[in-house]
Amino acid sequence: MTEPLVRALRVARRYGELEALAPTDLDLLPGETVALVGPNGAGKSTLLAILAGALDPSEGTVETRARRGWVPQRPAQYAKLSPRENLELFARLEGVDDPAGAAAELLARFSLPDGARPAGELSVGNRQRLNVALSLLGGPRVLLLDEPTASLDPIQRTLVWDVVGALRSDGGAVCFATQNVEEVAHADRVLALQDGRVVGSSVEAVFG
Amino acid sequence: MTSVWLILRKDLTVLRRSPLLLGALLAYPIVIALLVGLVAGYASSKPRIAFVDEDGIPPVVTVGGHHFHIQTVIDDVAKQVTLVRMGADEAARELSSGKVVATITVPPGFLSDLVTTVHPPSLELRTGSGGLAPRVTQQVQALVYQLNGKLQAGYIAANLQYVRLILHGGDASFIGRHFKVLGLDRMDQQLDGLPQTQRVATIRRFVHIARLALAQTGGALQATANPIQLAQPKVKGRTWVLSAQVQSYGIAITVTFLALLLAAGAAAAERDEGTIGRLRRGLASLGQLVWAKSALAAVVGLALGGSLALVFGVVVEIGGVTGGEPWARLPLLLACVLLAAGVAGTVGTLLGALAREARTASLLAVLVVLPVVFLGLVPRGAVPLAWWVSDFLPFAHAARLFGAALYDTSPWHAVGIEVAWLVGLGAAFGVLARLSMRRLAA
Repeated sequence: MTEPLVRALRVARRYGELEALAPTDLDLLPGETVALVGPNGAGKSTLLAILAGALDPSEGTVETRARRGWVPQRPAQYAKLSPRENLELFARLEGVDDPAGAAAELLARFSLPDGARPAGELSVGNRQRLNVALSLLGGPRVLLLDEPTASLDPIQRTLVWDVVGALRSDGGAVCFATQNVEEVAHADRVLALQDGRVVGSSVEAVFG
Repeated sequence: MTSVWLILRKDLTVLRRSPLLLGALLAYPIVIALLVGLVAGYASSKPRIAFVDEDGIPPVVTVGGHHFHIQTVIDDVAKQVTLVRMGADEAARELSSGKVVATITVPPGFLSDLVTTVHPPSLELRTGSGGLAPRVTQQVQALVYQLNGKLQAGYIAANLQYVRLILHGGDASFIGRHFKVLGLDRMDQQLDGLPQTQRVATIRRFVHIARLALAQTGGALQATANPIQLAQPKVKGRTWVLSAQVQSYGIAITVTFLALLLAAGAAAAERDEGTIGRLRRGLASLGQLVWAKSALAAVVGLALGGSLALVFGVVVEIGGVTGGEPWARLPLLLACVLLAAGVAGTVGTLLGALAREARTASLLAVLVVLPVVFLGLVPRGAVPLAWWVSDFLPFAHAARLFGAALYDTSPWHAVGIEVAWLVGLGAAFGVLARLSMRRLAA
């Protein structure tokens, strides 16, 4: 039996009385793409952040066997640093052998501006591209994407799905959250969430 | 440590690219330190005291043949207080409202008692119930002591007039009665006109001894009136603005303000920019983030505190004033500034984590740092509770540490104690900041 690259066991998150995510199980298998669908506040971002290790679950555990890359819903980067400086800084923090080379490669791959202009002054689309680029530092085998194509033009969307397809072909795993039902076509399976709970395995379970 | 260094370097880069913020962060604490210094110096050195004259003292009073210009005497002795003349009712109102910290009342009959010396005149001192009361009492006691010193000269002169009268004889008056005094000199002449018997010889010896003894009266009166005199030769020393206390407090206020605000803002900014989630994914632990923000506060605090110490040192050198070794102690001072700023940084990081948003964190830091500083400025005896509370905050220890590092002849004992306090506080606030970081990351 294939071992999952990431396994979430009964992970849940509460904020005081509010239950953002009820106890949830999820396995991400090699070569698999999972789509999380659901309305706003369904718990998609919370589940992805917990899977990424960016948020501690209130209960349950996450087991990982591979390096994870995370694209948060809101771009997570330093506004006063340029795209290159952001990429180099996080490459160093990731322990990448050649931070400058990795930064240059991602700048070119995502057509990011390579100047002194700080990330905070970039367009929303460019900031989102930088957000995605940052998640690829260190060559993750698991990608956790929270509405990754929001604010991207069609060409850049295609680029993101190419990245997802390549990773899946290489035996990696991808889990992405989306409210765009057309993007579910990129997934092998669907997890529908509502009010912090898994309510089905199809888009129809939440959007009729 | 690599993560701490990388985040610190990033924060320094971000700071360098925010010139307005950097300028405000550097200028604001210096301005606050100057204002606090001026206000504290003025308020503590020259308390306002009401002077109520119910006896109608004339501009010039004559005591023992000495003329005293009252206002000149008051101006001369009241270097440590500001005396403001007012009526009794107004003085009572201002005392109760705190506009004056004390009232000195000259009661009716004061001048009469002063001039006749039948019994000592008294002044009445009333102080408010505030923390300055003991200090004001001490200052008024010093004022009365100095007044007494000046009046003693007049009294002694008056007493010596009577002695001279006994010695040389003449017309005199006492409590309104006029009389003639023979005097020892003329008594001697009178004795010459008497038959020179054994009794006359005995009286003549007494007169001789009495004249010798009375000749020494002036010196004896001076000695008994002022058994110990305090000589105050003029020396070339530091002015108030260059005093050790002002330097240590100035640097401590500046560094505490800067470190607290900077660390609070930098910690909360990690959440504002969404990067704390990215960092938490094994790139930097929450503990490393606390270290990084404290290190940022320490490094920038060191730069500013060191610059201030250099400026003080240069001014001291140019002024050629004595009383300190600004250069020899600089390395020790800089090490102390680094530690104190780092500890203040842990407090700032804690505030930033609690606030969870940079603007709120900055406001919270300003709201917190002011009482932290002011508690540390309260004199030990004034409000014991404030002193006790300030012991558990870094500012007071930083100020005492800088003072000891700069000016104590043997600083190591005081430095050791304050360093131990700061390390302990740093550890305690560091643990709290680390725990609060979970809230920041949630």
